[in-house]
Amino acid sequence: MARGLSFTSVIEATGEATFRALRLLVHVIVQVLSTIGELCVLTFQIVRLFPTVFTRRGRLLAVRQMMDLGVASLPLIFITALFIGMVATVSAKYQFQSMVPLRYLGTAVTQTVFLELGPVLIALVMSGRIGSSIAAQIGAMKEKEEVDAYWVLGLDPIRYLAVPRVLAGVVMMPTLTMIACFLALFGGWMVAVGTLGVTSFTMVTGMRLFFRSYILWVCVVKSASFGALISVLGFYHGFKSAGGARGVGEATMKSVVSSSVMILMFDFLITFLMLS
Amino acid sequence: MPGVKIQSDSYAIELRDLRKSFRNSSGTQDVLRGVNLEIQRGETMVIIGGSGGGKSVILKHMIGLLHPDAGEVLVEGESVASAGHFDFSTIRRKMGMLFQMGALFDSMSVGENIAFALKEHHPDIPALSVEEKVATLLGMINLNPAFATKMPSELSGGMKKRVSLARTLALDPEIILYDEPTTGLDPITSDVINDLILDTQAKFHVTSVVVTHDMASAYKVADRIAMLYQGHIIFVGTPDQVKATDNPFVQQFIRGERRLNPVHPARI
Repeated sequence: MARGLSFTSVIEATGEATFRALRLLVHVIVQVLSTIGELCVLTFQIVRLFPTVFTRRGRLLAVRQMMDLGVASLPLIFITALFIGMVATVSAKYQFQSMVPLRYLGTAVTQTVFLELGPVLIALVMSGRIGSSIAAQIGAMKEKEEVDAYWVLGLDPIRYLAVPRVLAGVVMMPTLTMIACFLALFGGWMVAVGTLGVTSFTMVTGMRLFFRSYILWVCVVKSASFGALISVLGFYHGFKSAGGARGVGEATMKSVVSSSVMILMFDFLITFLMLS
Repeated sequence: MPGVKIQSDSYAIELRDLRKSFRNSSGTQDVLRGVNLEIQRGETMVIIGGSGGGKSVILKHMIGLLHPDAGEVLVEGESVASAGHFDFSTIRRKMGMLFQMGALFDSMSVGENIAFALKEHHPDIPALSVEEKVATLLGMINLNPAFATKMPSELSGGMKKRVSLARTLALDPEIILYDEPTTGLDPITSDVINDLILDTQAKFHVTSVVVTHDMASAYKVADRIAMLYQGHIIFVGTPDQVKATDNPFVQQFIRGERRLNPVHPARI
C-alpha cells in the first residue's frame, strides 16, 4: 500500500489519467467537428438537389413521404395535442391562483401553446415517430445494399432518399403543428369549461386577447426548422449506420437523441431571434 | 506468377498495385496489399478466394463504391479515382453490378425495379417502350411477364438475383460485376444463374467479373480465374490451368482442404 502511494507512482498515475482524459477529449472534439462537417455537406447536397422535387418522380416521392411521415402521424398528433392543451390550462390556472384574473387564462394558454409547447413538444414526439423511422429505413436499405444499388445505377441516393424526406419534414411539421396547436386550444377549452369552472365566453375571449398573427409565424418557423432537423438527422444517422441490426438500432437511437437536443437548442435560438 | 497472362492492349479494367485497409475495434486490417489484375474486354474473369478475403472489396473498387488507399483502378483506360463527378457517372453507367443479395428496392415492384434507372436516365422514353423492355428482360431471365407486378418480398433468393440482373441489363452496360451470384442458392438454382451469366455474355458481349468461392460456378462461367490470397492475386489462368497448377494454395482452395502450413505468398 505504502509502495502504491509513493510520490513517483502518484505522479505517474496522475499523468497517465490526464493524458487519457485529454486524448478522449480530443477524440470527442474531432468526432463532433467531423459530424458537423458531414452534416453541413449533406445539407448542402440536399439544397443543391432540391429542384429535383419538381420533376414527376420527385413529386411522386415527396407526396409518398408526406403521406407516410405526415398524414400517418395524425392520430398521434391528435392525442398529444389534446393533452398538451389540457396540461397547459391546468398548469396556468394553478399559477394564476387568485392573483391573475381568469379572463387571461385563455391568453396564457394560447401564447404558450403557439410559441412554445406546440412546436417543441410536437417536434419531440415526431422525432421519435419520423426521425427514428427515417433512420431505421435508410439504415436497413444500407444494410441490404440498396443505397449502393442507387450509386451503381448511376443515381444519387441523396436525390431519391433524402430530398423527398426532408421536404416532407419541412412541409408536414408546420402543418401538423398548426393542427396540433388548435387541437391543444380545444383541449384547454374543454378542461377549463368542464372542470375548472371557467365559462366558455371567458376562455374564448382570453384566447383572442393579444392574439397576433406573428405568433403563428414564430410557430411555423420553429416547426419547419424542427422538421428539417429531424429529417436531416434521421437520414444522416441511417446513412452512416454500419454493423447489421445493432448498427440500425444505434442509428435510430442517435437520430432521436441528437434531434431532441438540437430541437431544444434551435428552439432557444429561434425564440431569441424572433422574440427578444 | 504462375498461369498465363493474356496480353492485350484493350483492357476493360486494370488494377494497379491496389491497396486497402479497414480500421476496426481490433486495429487495422490490410485487406488488399497490392492487387494487380488486367481484365480484357469481352472476357469473363472469375475472382476466387476465401470468405472475408477482400474479393467483394475489389469489385467495389472497380465500380467506385470504395476508394483505394493506394494504387489505381482503370476502367476503359480511365482512372476511377481521378475522374470528376460527371466523368465518373459516365464510367459508372457503362457498368452494372449484381449484388450478393440482389439489393432490389423493396418499395418498388419487380417491373418498377427494372424500369427505374432506365426511366431516370431517359425521361423521354415512351412508357410503352419501357414496358416492352421490362417484358423482354423478364423473358431473358426466364420469368413470366406477370412477375412485373410482384414485390421483391414475394420472390425467392434466386428470383431476386435474376431480377437484379435484369435491372442491370436494362441500362445496357458494357461491364457487369457479379458479387457472389450463387451464394445461398441450391445447386440447381445456382446453375440457372450460371447459365444466365453465360447467356448474357453471349448475347451482349459484355465484360464480366464474377466474385465467388463456388468452384463449380467458377469453372462453368470463367474464361480466366484469378485467385486472391492474403491480399494478393497469386494466380491467374484458365480453368484448365487452375485445375492443373501445382500452386499449393490454389490446390488447397479448389480441393477445400484445411490450410496447414501458411506461407506468405511473396515466397511462392
